[in-house]
Amino acid sequence: MSVKYIPVQWNNNKWLYDGVMLVGVGLFLYVFLNASPSVLGYEPPINPQVHNARAFGACAFAMLTVILCIGPLARLDERFLPLLYNRRHFGVMTVFVAITHASYIIDWYFAFSMSDKYEALLFANTSYGQLAGFPFEIFGVFALVVLVILAATSHDFWMKFLTPPVWKRIHYLIYPAYLSVVAHISLGILQDQQAHAFTVIFIIGALLVGLLHLLAALSERKRDRALSAEGVDWVEVADVSSFRDGFAKIRLLPNGERVAVYLMDGRLSAISNACAHQNGPLGEGRIIDCLVTCPWHGFQYDVRNGRSPAPFTEMVPTYNLRLEGSSVQVDPKANPPGTPVDPLQIPVAYQMTKNGEVPA
Amino acid sequence: MSKPEKPFFVGYLPVQQALRRWLLVVCALFVVGLTGIGMVMGTAQDDPGPGAFRFDYGRQTVSGVVELTPYPLVRVTVGNDRIKPGTTLMLVGQGKSNVDARAVPLEGQLAKVSGIVLQRGELNMLQLRGGANGLAAEEGEAPPQDSIPLGRWKLAGEICDGKCLAGAMRPGRGLAHKACANLCLIGGVPPVFVSSQPVDGSEFFLVTGPDGTALPKSAYDAIGQFVSIEGEVERRGDMLVLSIDPDSVEVLD
Repeated sequence: MSVKYIPVQWNNNKWLYDGVMLVGVGLFLYVFLNASPSVLGYEPPINPQVHNARAFGACAFAMLTVILCIGPLARLDERFLPLLYNRRHFGVMTVFVAITHASYIIDWYFAFSMSDKYEALLFANTSYGQLAGFPFEIFGVFALVVLVILAATSHDFWMKFLTPPVWKRIHYLIYPAYLSVVAHISLGILQDQQAHAFTVIFIIGALLVGLLHLLAALSERKRDRALSAEGVDWVEVADVSSFRDGFAKIRLLPNGERVAVYLMDGRLSAISNACAHQNGPLGEGRIIDCLVTCPWHGFQYDVRNGRSPAPFTEMVPTYNLRLEGSSVQVDPKANPPGTPVDPLQIPVAYQMTKNGEVPA
Repeated sequence: MSKPEKPFFVGYLPVQQALRRWLLVVCALFVVGLTGIGMVMGTAQDDPGPGAFRFDYGRQTVSGVVELTPYPLVRVTVGNDRIKPGTTLMLVGQGKSNVDARAVPLEGQLAKVSGIVLQRGELNMLQLRGGANGLAAEEGEAPPQDSIPLGRWKLAGEICDGKCLAGAMRPGRGLAHKACANLCLIGGVPPVFVSSQPVDGSEFFLVTGPDGTALPKSAYDAIGQFVSIEGEVERRGDMLVLSIDPDSVEVLD
């Protein structure tokens, strides 16, 4: 959360996150670049430029694969949520690694001719009508352009400027970009590789990304079925006795929106489940210091009015609640973001504390 | 509802004790995993083959007769310790460029050539120095050079650019290298066919179009692929020259 835009709001966890990421990437490149030539022992050796290009290209693929696994892993097991927290730094780092890969390739394979090397990249091979020998470089160009756009717009400034829905749609381009990387590798280096270790790692990595997304999607579908509620004017959320202080129950409304109903200090309030920052699931967070805290990046909201505490300005829609017997019901028509709503007092007999105990 | 019994991570707050061990394990797996993958991927690279710039020979200067196929060759008549008389050298310029402008006026004449050798097995190429330092006419009568027809052949193999194949780039052949090879050929670097079966003891052929023309552009789509090809083979010194029928190029599975 920020009031003014600064490049990075550093904190200990971000330093640690970036440190671990850099150590992993550094070691990958170190062993690829330095340890492997002595193991390979080719005489004469692979050109250093090609060796470097391969190291950075392989590293970018590995990083992108890890990045794309984090999202579904966090959906399947919330213990992975800390990996999501600073993922954008991981993405930006990947772009630098990918640019280094592209630079080595362009400055080696496409240099030394009478033509401009960037133009040569586009015209040297134009066999677009065939699979074997297809100009696979074009897939790399597309992926790199997308990655640069995503990195350049990764700052919260751009999210606010473009609005979260537009920003989110732009950042979904990561999936076509990854598919493009898969095509780039499949029609490029894999066509020539005689040793199959790289092929095996590549296939496992790409399948892992696909499989985790599939599992996460199935899990979401199952969860949505359990959360879906019916009703026209008022929609049932849950029995009042099932709420726990500091936590929420989420319901999928007939109009497709999700509402998070929180119990705080014996009173119920409902806000949109989608965080104004990156649509994080607010109902899967919890109340810290009297504020709903998003599990993705820690954005906070006053559950009674959907507003972030001053001086922050983020707002989410609120909902009206009512109690029918012991049934908590929500009006599916959302209030405009930041609209205060009086919390619904529930009888003491129904209240469950944070520890899961019912007060005497 | 999030599970109340599970620790909750907020990025700007200290990590809860219960999460620390888990995160340590994840971090260790991440670092060890990436290192291991880097090692495996790094050591899974193929041998680029024996071709290389022979900088260890130093600059080589020999004399011979310039021929055009249309790609320029020198049939060495006066050699040295490294390059014997009877050797045929393909000639190229710096980078992805040809030396046609210098070689064409000297066709059939005796000339002195100087440059760096690229060598892959029996395939020899000379990257010339600039201007007259690299290629200059020499006094004297050019001795006649044999050209021995070896008949019509159908061969299977790969069309490459001769310079990268000879060792300018390692690896310098294959589909991943296709765009680079095309760029070399566009620049007039001599194409070389690598046959899966040797003919008259050689697996390398300088490849041209029919009747002394350059490799047709239609063949560029087949660069780097395993193809079958038909044409006339002739021997010029220690080099075989294959004049292909453009319509005969066929991609093999």
